[in-house]
Amino acid sequence: MIDVKNLSKSYGKTRAVHDLSFTVETGVITGFLGPNGSGKSTTMRMIMGLDRPNRGTATINGKPFHEIKWPLREVGALLEAKAIHPGRSARSHLTSLAQTNAIPKARVDEVLDLVGLTQVANRKAGKFSLGMNQRLGIASALLGDPAVLLFDEPINGLDPEGIRWVRELLQSLARDGRTIFVSSHLMSEMALTATDLVVIGRGELIADTTVNNFIDSNTVATVLVRSSDSSRLNQVLAGLGGSITTQDDGSLLVTKIDGTQIGNAALSSGIAIHELSPQQASLEEVFMELTADSVDFHGTTNAKVTS
Amino acid sequence: MTVTNTQMPSTDRGHVGLAGVTRSEWTKFRSVRSTWICLFIIVLAGIGLSVLLTFIQAARWSQSSLQERATFDPVAFSQSGHFISQLVVGILGAMIITSEYSTGLIRTTLATVPKRFTVLAAKKIVIAVVILVVGEVTAFASFFAAQIILTAHGGTQLPAGASIVTQVKSASIPVVTIMSPGVLQAVVLSGAYLALLSILALGLGFIIRSTAGAISIFVGILLVLPIILNFFPSGFKNSVEPYMPSNLGIAMVVTTTRTTDWAGVLFTPWVAVLVLALYAAVFLLAGLWFLQRRDA
Ligand SMILES: Nc1ncnc2c1ncn2[C@@H]1O[C@H](COP(=O)(O)OP(=O)(O)OP(=O)(O)O)[C@@H](O)[C@H]1O
Ligand SMILES: [Mg+2]
Repeated sequence: MIDVKNLSKSYGKTRAVHDLSFTVETGVITGFLGPNGSGKSTTMRMIMGLDRPNRGTATINGKPFHEIKWPLREVGALLEAKAIHPGRSARSHLTSLAQTNAIPKARVDEVLDLVGLTQVANRKAGKFSLGMNQRLGIASALLGDPAVLLFDEPINGLDPEGIRWVRELLQSLARDGRTIFVSSHLMSEMALTATDLVVIGRGELIADTTVNNFIDSNTVATVLVRSSDSSRLNQVLAGLGGSITTQDDGSLLVTKIDGTQIGNAALSSGIAIHELSPQQASLEEVFMELTADSVDFHGTTNAKVTS
Repeated sequence: MTVTNTQMPSTDRGHVGLAGVTRSEWTKFRSVRSTWICLFIIVLAGIGLSVLLTFIQAARWSQSSLQERATFDPVAFSQSGHFISQLVVGILGAMIITSEYSTGLIRTTLATVPKRFTVLAAKKIVIAVVILVVGEVTAFASFFAAQIILTAHGGTQLPAGASIVTQVKSASIPVVTIMSPGVLQAVVLSGAYLALLSILALGLGFIIRSTAGAISIFVGILLVLPIILNFFPSGFKNSVEPYMPSNLGIAMVVTTTRTTDWAGVLFTPWVAVLVLALYAAVFLLAGLWFLQRRDA
């Protein structure tokens, strides 16, 4: 279990994390979501005792990092994939880590095999692709067979097959009863992988809940309707208390009333329904909507050319 | 998916300690090629430069002034390879930590130990022991090679029990054996000088974190500081000069009389060792202070 209490951290004038509290439960995958620069990596570094919080505490299984007697064997972390000396082989890198925590040499070969790097174990890590580095980082996190695991963007740079591999690995680790805390930019990926969610924006907690609750409580049931007479149907549905948006192609997005009511109303008004489909809001959309106010760096798609 | 088959030792007893972390640092140290390149240069340049300079000095002995002859120290001169090897020692000492900061590996390293002090202590043990061994090999090889060259150029061995001072006053090139008074100590301290410098450089690496920065300051302390000192009034210059790290190094290997041109400029060998050890300790402790206080 990971317990974060009132954690705050500033770098000079930059407020990275502010009064953040949440717990990460055992036996499930907890997704850690937030836009760029929202403080995910900073929070993970503080949990691992690397950055010192200005205020608050973070504990792993009840202890702050510096009180853990055998850190690698209690908590494994993948923080930066490239955090490897480019001139050192994967095997030497893992061996050096194993030696600190009295982990048997056989375990090095075992994790190399687990992440599929056995063939290239003696090659310099500097020659590795991003995906291979990511796998080596995962191997080092698993080295001590820890009960608590932190992964900062583990699927960065992986191909679809690699992404599926990570997803299955995380799920099997959670089934073992481990605590899994994983950050990602890809909300859709979290929807597939995680059970619980911690969502932050600008260093502050937005939600600490389950994936299902998160979607349910943050979405309004919407129905897409195409019909023979959009404008008349619009009036009819508005009369029933529906809230309607007309889209460019003439179809209607209706909230507040459900499909049955819409169908019945159309029938009694003599309007032919061509399509009637409930819209499932994706985690992606919910997330975008919720963090819209707390995104630090807005991208823009209609860049104007000034002369 | 089976994740673990290996039998792991129990975590109920003990904790991460200096022995394991030192083994880890040794693995890191020897598993990158730059280590071996640096060690190779320390030995080769150390011996090579000593041999070359000794050869030149021996060849032009007949044209040398009396002053030059009187101050020629066959032991200190045999260790002149330090000009190069001390710089490479600095690079290696600083890089074993700065390379971790530049790659981000330091975060992985610190996530394996509860106490950061252990990492610093382990790195210190590895670099100091390795450089001491390599430094002694270089020192002894340089010494014997130089005496062979001097002998080949007509150098004459001191009679047993005679001091070097007597010898350098004569016209022929002085040659000593390892058993001549003060010689063994000087050669041993020559290797120790490099080991102490490696600790100083390691401390500097922990403080500065960047490879280029740490190496620049190291070179500055060793080579530029004495030059700057020349611009100060002689009273100040004379009182500060013995404290220059490069002069401490010379003080450790000099065996001739101190009435020569080194008079007043140098501490006695063991005082020099003490002062340099103090420098190394100060840098290392400052490094520890920064390691423990700053974010990784
Ligand atoms: N070492 C540091 N020094 C200065 N500022 C920092 C440091 N680390 C993080 N920050 C700042 O703190 C804020 C949070 O950064 P952090 O990397 O934790 O966000 P993140 O959620 O991991 O972002 P991303 O999704 O892009 O990885 C940012 O504004 C960042 O610029
Ligand atoms: Mg990040």
